Amino acid sequence: MSNTEFVRSELRASQARAGYLFIVPAMLLYLTFVLAPVVVTVILSFAFYDPQFGSHWVGLDNYRRFFTDPRSVQIFWNTLRFTAMAVTGNVTVGLLLALALNRVMPAWLLYFFRLAFFLPVIIAAAFVAIVWGYFFQDSGIFNYYLSHLGLPAVHWLTSAQTAMPSIVFMDVWKNTGFFMVIFIAALQGVPKTITEAAIMDGTPSWRRFWRITLPWISPVVFFAIVYASIGALQVYESIWILTKGGPGDATRSMSINIVEEAFGSFQIGYGASVAVVMTVVILFITGVQFIVSRRLVRY
Amino acid sequence: MFKLNRRSFVLSSAALAASTGLAGRAVSADSGTIKVLMNGGDADLANTNNAIARFKTKFPNYTVSVDMDPISTGWGDYVTRVLGEFASNTQHDIYGTAIETFQTFASRGVFEAIDDFVAKNPNYSDFAPALFEDCKYQGKIYFVPTSWNNIMINYNRDLFDKVKVGYPKEGWTWDDFRAAAKALTVKDASGNASQWGYEVPNQNFFIQPWFLSNGTSPLNDDWTASNMLDPKVAESLQFLHDIIHVDGSSPIPGNDTMDNQFLAGQVAMISRGHWIIPNVENAKLNMDVAIPPSKANDYTVIGFGAIGIAKGSKNDAVEALTAELSGPELEADVAKSGSSCPGSKTAANLPEYLAFPPSAPLYFQTLPHTKPVPSPANFQEVEKIFIRYYTAMMADEMSIADGCKQADQELNDSFSRLKQSLGQS
Repeated sequence: MSNTEFVRSELRASQARAGYLFIVPAMLLYLTFVLAPVVVTVILSFAFYDPQFGSHWVGLDNYRRFFTDPRSVQIFWNTLRFTAMAVTGNVTVGLLLALALNRVMPAWLLYFFRLAFFLPVIIAAAFVAIVWGYFFQDSGIFNYYLSHLGLPAVHWLTSAQTAMPSIVFMDVWKNTGFFMVIFIAALQGVPKTITEAAIMDGTPSWRRFWRITLPWISPVVFFAIVYASIGALQVYESIWILTKGGPGDATRSMSINIVEEAFGSFQIGYGASVAVVMTVVILFITGVQFIVSRRLVRY
Repeated sequence: MFKLNRRSFVLSSAALAASTGLAGRAVSADSGTIKVLMNGGDADLANTNNAIARFKTKFPNYTVSVDMDPISTGWGDYVTRVLGEFASNTQHDIYGTAIETFQTFASRGVFEAIDDFVAKNPNYSDFAPALFEDCKYQGKIYFVPTSWNNIMINYNRDLFDKVKVGYPKEGWTWDDFRAAAKALTVKDASGNASQWGYEVPNQNFFIQPWFLSNGTSPLNDDWTASNMLDPKVAESLQFLHDIIHVDGSSPIPGNDTMDNQFLAGQVAMISRGHWIIPNVENAKLNMDVAIPPSKANDYTVIGFGAIGIAKGSKNDAVEALTAELSGPELEADVAKSGSSCPGSKTAANLPEYLAFPPSAPLYFQTLPHTKPVPSPANFQEVEKIFIRYYTAMMADEMSIADGCKQADQELNDSFSRLKQSLGQS
């Protein structure tokens, strides 16, 4: 090895050392707060664990219990139903609001609307859910107006038919502003030259949307769908505060089930096994979304 | 000039030593910190602080820190909190708790057995003996009762007067109750209620009188198995279901209780304990209480608050503070604040306690006809299972027969797991 090559090699090694040193803090944080809990959860899912009663291995018993419990199907279905409705609602309404606001209007009016629609996003979900809980009561504001119209009262949160849609309605009201802001940013990136050319060619507005705007912002729409799906699959607080998963199991999600089993009933091992199943479900759904996106998203 | 000879010096020194020693018994020179976790609202915090102030006159060098838990989401979550503290070794020294948690805590060995402490404290002879019986687990006392609540029918007298329905009388029956609830319900032209006759309860504790007064319970007598298949359980549930869906006298029980609607005069009757009295007085509601209506008997449910000492925390100072937190002054404070019924009979005879509601003596009168709320060691799981099926049945999402059958299966599965945990199977 020549002297120059040796110096270069030394330099490269010291640069690599420095690089590793820089990533050590981040790696330590990742290992401690992300990877370690995941590994511990997987280990716990094969055990009976109780700090006071003691712990022992139970093999696949926790998973067997989950897959043979008839409630699991209902809870799994609730989670998927909420995800489908909430993702559709949040992304669609967010996109419609963004399209409505992505036009020429007085600046103060534009900022007023953006703030108005975004405001629910920054309010704590617990507070929002409490207020909506009052709206949805049998003697709440919605039924008050229904009775003034001569219509019968609706059991918004105490009927299996209406409880989940009511929760989704609140969730969309709360979160759609976030997606609106993302879509507004994406829409402002659509080249005006292309849309102006289409206008000059006499292309109708709906066709311009389907042929130009939507394909152009499709990566952002895809991100929004994936992001909303992961959040919806983990839904907890909105449902807990409005219905506590009831009536019966009608609105119980997998996250609520995990918390109830692990920390309410001290079946920590069983709760961990449900968490592992939920993680696999989220990975699977996200994987399917990525595969489908190859055909629909244009980068 | 005063001269101190050897004899005087020895006598003076002996007197000084003796007086110091005597004073040491009255005011301790020990120091330390005691952490207390109590539950309830402002009145309970004030009562606790008063007890701590009395304790500090005897143990001035001790620091006492108090945390309060409002128990806004039920005792199951409180159990989770407390066991989490023990698991992470951040436990308090003294805990306020309730009967619902006794077996869960005692079976896990996280509290001290305090039979010796109870035996040497003469104040406790003034308490109803049944309260201490329910504080035992496997023959040992783990908790000291401080206050209790039995569920009564609280009714708005103005609303009864308005529709000319007679006030509930001793010995009234389920049928009398149902007729009153129906008469007290007001509906508009669309059939929507603007005033409910009764609030079918949404919480485990409030529901229990409907089982007890029918001579049954969702669990067996020793709380080791389900009793949901007893036809009387289904009968009680059917009765509540029919109040909602046949008579239309109550809304479907939801997530929130209807205390505010009761205080606003929108609900005529609710099942609650003494704790609502301060709010009722603030709202100037013309209210009285009645013994829950009877079917097979006139039994109602009792739940009570208590305090316990965490494992490893027992010492003279902690025992002294525990005595203050369950002493006669605290009992008097409980009676005066109205947040619960006091544990001691003396406090329950205070004029402040008996001033409101008009039938206040009924609380103590019913004591021999009460049964404790079923509170097995897996209470937090049992409560969730029961309430889940109960809400589904009350919302008409599931038939009473199916609900009882499925709840029975789940409850017994839970008891099997508990027995495994306790090494009993």
